[in-house]
Amino acid sequence: MTVFRRRAAPGPVPRRRGGPVAAEARWAWLFLAPTLIGLAILSAGPILATFGISLTKWDLLRPPDWVGLENYAALVQDKRFLVALRNTGFYTVVSVPLGMALALGLALALNHGIRGIAWIRTAYFLPVVTSATAVGLVWAWIYAPSGGILNQLIGLAGLPPQKWVSDPFWAMPAIIMMSVWQGLGTSVIIFLAGLQAIPQEYYDAASVDGAGRWARFRSVTLPLLTPSLFFTGILALISAFQIFDQVYVLARPGKPTEATVTLVYFIYENGFKNFKMGYAAAASWVLFLIVAVLTLIYFRSQRRWVHYQ
Amino acid sequence: MRTFRSSRGPRLLAAAAVASLLVAACGGGASPAPTTPISPTSGPTTALPSGEPSASPAGGYSGPEAKISYAIWGDPAELKSQQAIVDAFKAANPKIDVDVTVSDWDAYWDKLQTGLAGGAAPDVFAMDGPLFPDYQSRDVLLDLEPMIDRDGYDLGQLADQGVADFTAADGGQYALPRDLNTVVLYYNKTMFDAAGLPYPDETWDWAKLVEVGKKLTKDVDGDGTVDQWGFYTETTDMENYWSSLVWQNGGDIVSADRTKTLLGTPEAAGGIQFLQDLIWKEKIMADPALFVETGDAFEQGKAAMESNGSWLVPTHTAAAGDLGFEFGIAPLPKGPAGRFTSVNPTGAVVYKGTKSPDAAWEFVKYLASPAAQEQLMKLKASLPVSKEVLAGPYATSFEGARVLADSLAYAKLKPSFAGYNEFTTILQGELDANVFLDPKKTAAQALADVVPQLDAILAGQ
Repeated sequence: MTVFRRRAAPGPVPRRRGGPVAAEARWAWLFLAPTLIGLAILSAGPILATFGISLTKWDLLRPPDWVGLENYAALVQDKRFLVALRNTGFYTVVSVPLGMALALGLALALNHGIRGIAWIRTAYFLPVVTSATAVGLVWAWIYAPSGGILNQLIGLAGLPPQKWVSDPFWAMPAIIMMSVWQGLGTSVIIFLAGLQAIPQEYYDAASVDGAGRWARFRSVTLPLLTPSLFFTGILALISAFQIFDQVYVLARPGKPTEATVTLVYFIYENGFKNFKMGYAAAASWVLFLIVAVLTLIYFRSQRRWVHYQ
Repeated sequence: MRTFRSSRGPRLLAAAAVASLLVAACGGGASPAPTTPISPTSGPTTALPSGEPSASPAGGYSGPEAKISYAIWGDPAELKSQQAIVDAFKAANPKIDVDVTVSDWDAYWDKLQTGLAGGAAPDVFAMDGPLFPDYQSRDVLLDLEPMIDRDGYDLGQLADQGVADFTAADGGQYALPRDLNTVVLYYNKTMFDAAGLPYPDETWDWAKLVEVGKKLTKDVDGDGTVDQWGFYTETTDMENYWSSLVWQNGGDIVSADRTKTLLGTPEAAGGIQFLQDLIWKEKIMADPALFVETGDAFEQGKAAMESNGSWLVPTHTAAAGDLGFEFGIAPLPKGPAGRFTSVNPTGAVVYKGTKSPDAAWEFVKYLASPAAQEQLMKLKASLPVSKEVLAGPYATSFEGARVLADSLAYAKLKPSFAGYNEFTTILQGELDANVFLDPKKTAAQALADVVPQLDAILAGQ
């Protein structure tokens, strides 16, 4: 990842011919402006507004009533909110490491100059750009309790058919499996880029020193891939906490039960189904704080394990 | 509700709509501006000269030219049907232009709420009976009572339940019903004939359903597992069967004043217990999970009987044609406390902020008129609300239509109260997980566990 390497590059940023650093910075700001203005108006504004809304009782249709921190106090005692928190936590703890490990394995396998690599990469990236709706529909058939592909597969191994998304025990794992499959492409592409940026000389030198395949992986590949791991980790963590579409399309029967309700679904449900926009806003601030704190801890940890070349 | 439950495809598309509506929510004011200057001149607009209650083909509207928007949920066939009604209306009322928009069930309500919040809601929109109190109590609907009085409009020409469902606690009338749906027992004649059994009729009770259901539950292909069930219904909403069972057992869902749930009673539990028993004790119905992805078992020719809504007539007819079976329609079997079924009207309501209330009212009246109702009836996806059409053309329009029309005599309104969505999410979550999909609890145990939460939701409205 160029961004990280650039930041760690030794020495001052090389000057452009004919212009002082200040001029370059001005251009940088100019190019960043569309995004920054967009973020400020379309993201920062609404985020701040959400905080205001979270202090009110508001059904969207009538003027809001000020209730202070009442919504937050109610959240702590709301069983469905706590269940949503637990489910989201479970989803994150399982899907993030699992997704990264699988993506890393795939990237390593694909990094050996196989013919048609471009096609294979495209194939892995396709689910990423496919709408969650279409993906959900296909997976619903894979998971169908009667005649679904998955039950036929495990039937070949002599295992009894499962109800998958209709079974509280299997529902979340089933959703995780689909999401991991769907999100794999992004991480694979990033890992592949990271792997290809590792200079061949390091491997050569390691080989000369008598390092075997595992030792080369442990001591060359893994450390030099940590920036990529760090980057995909943060993306995966944030998106895991925002899990919504997969639950929306796959949860059975009809809508998420205790086994599958997640934080963002809870927010959607309260804001748009239960006429509780203030309550939903409070829940989204809790989500925001959780993600912010975890991201902060994660960033702090990078000193310990991320190695920039 | 039919889009919501009968087909999964359109519902899934709603995910995409969620994103777009969030954007729309910020956008706000881009409403289709009416071409005419802001209309409602003070004082009464020309009253209908006639004693003729419904909109006459000549048109009773003599206000300024108006353009109104009309939003509905539904599938392409329903849009086509509603568009035909709108075209006929426009031909009769050249001064009023009507623009119809259709969405699938989930997206419809999301859009409606953001539209209402942004002051850009459709002038006339479809309203589901159970959700009506949530909107009416938030003061976004126009009370039609003054216009009903002004025009001398006779509400008695419309199905009583349809009118009653949209009469608010304050006595106002906030919608005219547009169509109705009731719940009946569908049966596969071909399967009954093959088993040499007489068809279900009005003498049937719970015991008879179980007795015949057992005879029709079998392993047809002989591989050791049951592949034909005597009975099928959807368990994920009270309307498809279980609310009727509660009533048939002498119970009810909420109190008359809508302040507390009556599901904690033994009568209510007994009704729901009967459905659990059909699945897990009598085993005449498959585990609901088996058909959750593939849809209606009756339409796949895998169930001999089904309790479900009148909205399924078109798809049942198509499925029967494809698979080569014939089906009939009978009343739901009687329970210990008698015969009951569920009726749920869809109403046409007017947005309180509309710029053309008179044009909107003219259109709402037309939707309930015999002419529009006869057009709607052709879809067979719901019952007409016009008594004249119900008793006349509709009852003879297809085999079984009379059973549907007659069911109104013993039908109770689908429960309708503020907080309906939140209430049913908690209630169905418990019933689906612990009673129907997996008999971890008896109905009484499960209900005892959720009743305090349900009461708290009702108290919080």
